[in-house]
Amino acid sequence: MISEYLWLLLAFPALGVLVNGLAGNRFREKTVAVIAASSIGLSLAVALGFFCEMTAAAPDARIVATTLYNWLADGALQIRIGLLLDPLSMVMVLVVLGIGFLIHIYSASYMKGDDGYRRFFVYLNLFIFFMLLLVLADNLVLTFVGWEGVGLCSYLLIGFWHQKKPACDAGRKAFIVNRIGDYGFILGILLIIVVFQTVDYRELATIVKGSHGATPGIIALMALLLFMGAMGKSAQFPLHVWLPDAMEGPTPVSALIHAATMVNAGVYLMCRVSPLLAQSPEVLLVIAAVGLITAVYAAFSALGQTDVKRVLAYSTVSQIGYMFVAVGSGMYAAGIFHLVTHGIFKGLLFLGAGAVIHALNGEQEISRMGGLFREIPATAVAFIAGLLALAGVFPLAGFFSKDAILWGSFEHFGTNFWLVAFAGALLTALYCGKLFGVFFGRKRYEGHLHRPSMLMVAPLAILAAAALTAGLLGFPMFTKDTFFARFLGFPITAITADAGALHNLEIIMTVLQGAVILVILTAAVYMFTKMRDRMAALGDAFPKTAALLAGGFGLDRINDVLFVVPVKILARFNARIIDSRIIDGAVNGMGHLTMFAGRLLAGLQTGQLRHYAFSVIAGTFLILGTALYFAGLF
Amino acid sequence: MTLYHFVGLGVVLFAIGAAGFFIRNNAVVLLLCIEIMLNAVNLIFASFARFLYGTEGQIFIFIIMTIAAAEAAVGLGIIIALYRSHKTLDMSLIKDLKG
Repeated sequence: MISEYLWLLLAFPALGVLVNGLAGNRFREKTVAVIAASSIGLSLAVALGFFCEMTAAAPDARIVATTLYNWLADGALQIRIGLLLDPLSMVMVLVVLGIGFLIHIYSASYMKGDDGYRRFFVYLNLFIFFMLLLVLADNLVLTFVGWEGVGLCSYLLIGFWHQKKPACDAGRKAFIVNRIGDYGFILGILLIIVVFQTVDYRELATIVKGSHGATPGIIALMALLLFMGAMGKSAQFPLHVWLPDAMEGPTPVSALIHAATMVNAGVYLMCRVSPLLAQSPEVLLVIAAVGLITAVYAAFSALGQTDVKRVLAYSTVSQIGYMFVAVGSGMYAAGIFHLVTHGIFKGLLFLGAGAVIHALNGEQEISRMGGLFREIPATAVAFIAGLLALAGVFPLAGFFSKDAILWGSFEHFGTNFWLVAFAGALLTALYCGKLFGVFFGRKRYEGHLHRPSMLMVAPLAILAAAALTAGLLGFPMFTKDTFFARFLGFPITAITADAGALHNLEIIMTVLQGAVILVILTAAVYMFTKMRDRMAALGDAFPKTAALLAGGFGLDRINDVLFVVPVKILARFNARIIDSRIIDGAVNGMGHLTMFAGRLLAGLQTGQLRHYAFSVIAGTFLILGTALYFAGLF
Repeated sequence: MTLYHFVGLGVVLFAIGAAGFFIRNNAVVLLLCIEIMLNAVNLIFASFARFLYGTEGQIFIFIIMTIAAAEAAVGLGIIIALYRSHKTLDMSLIKDLKG
């Protein structure tokens, strides 16, 4: 493999940003879209080339690294702008570029006629650039640069329609909540620098495996701080509050950033620092617990949403929770596997939702969607494929990845943990069933339907095909040594002595889980299509429960009371007392003092020549007298 | 006649010039008072030069006389300009510099 060409991956999106950003106002919409999409396409082609070379290489020769620039050098600490392409980042690069490319094509049609068409594609390319930087960086600091870059693009794209106040608020909320996580991330990086004198992932891995002198407490603190960053970016409880609101952005953005790529950065980071996590089982437990709480909590919240995009947003939060469960169980390969499949089917679902919303002239309420199957069959089929994959129906992608995670949690943490995780999976099936109502049942919309263009349907079809087949990566089943895991090359935990018994149990559980999920999903589909009006009446009968679910258990209100209101009071106090009285008082006071002293001294200026002359003479005598006095003459 | 007599005369002359400068109002008289002070200093320089057998004092006298001549020329010019702008030479009435 040719490591000198690694920078090409980053160069094409950057070029797209520059060309469209600097000269795009001269281009027609079509030219802008072609430039933006082809920049991603070229990067994707390069990535596929690298992928072929990587699979051809021997497993231990699959790491390619290059240093582009020596950024900061301070004694032992060397921070380089270096790229690292190993199987893990290869997978991430393919997800980012593959789904990113399809979404660029989709957006070319979806955003047609928008005033900010060019701006949209510049942001989108910039996002891809930073995302690639994040996954290709060979050290924590450079990852952090990409991390902040995607955060910036996320902020810009959530608030893309900045004429709408909710969009601006949502953008700010995303930015501020992410700051909380990033605070932990920075502290973690600093701690690692102080203790280990390096930020390079590979050096870090060798250091923590050897005798490093750091106490387990310090290692745990590092891991926890890094996880805090991951919680912010990957929307884990309680830092998930920004993600549902982020749905104010254009739908392709929700698909790309808030489902398929950026929000998974936390999972990627955890896998990247897995040698560090391996040193601290307690932190792994914390990660798994946070993931589990998030998975179940968000699944409940998704059930209560009435906006189709918000259902998907909570679903994303929930599924990322499962990825963290996998990470916490030490099954990094399963986590990344779910990341890939989830990226595919959730990107598909968001794009499908976008097509539905587009068809209904911007309508997002599920209650006004129904019977769309006859009108937009291609979209509907793709969307349903996505839903089945999300729910985990055999043989779609979600079945394999979720099964691996559930089994991992059972094996690692026992029955109770598995039970809760499985309950979350059932809730997933429930809210998936709810979304079937969009396509079946009676017609609930008014007005003229916009059929989606070919440019919008084609990415849906490709993603649907991927959602159908991506499960193959999880073969051979019932072993930890799947194609995917072997490619990623994470160390596989040793199988315990009673492997045979466990193996049979795993097969039985997989079949049973799949069957129960299928039953629940069928029931849910029946409830939300045939009995939909009665279900709606159920919601009306228990308005408090419905509101609780819809509001994500009131977490926003708790945040308001705990943080937003106190900060606002503090801000008002600062503005009215500290700023206007103390700071302005000090500045103005200096001015007043000077003017007062000036008025006093102005009295000396009489304008009378003789007074000036007298002071000259008197001054001379004074100086002369003093000099003579000190010379001892009198 | 000792050095004290000459220096004493110089001091008295200087005092007369300074006092005149303080109490008189007419700008021309003020110029005269300045001349008196300058010449008082000249006298003292000359006396020291004579009694201490040096020549530096005498050189200084020439410099001071040159400056005095130049100063008189500039001073009279200022007085004329002053009269033109203020229609008076009474210095107690001219206080443009009052703060």
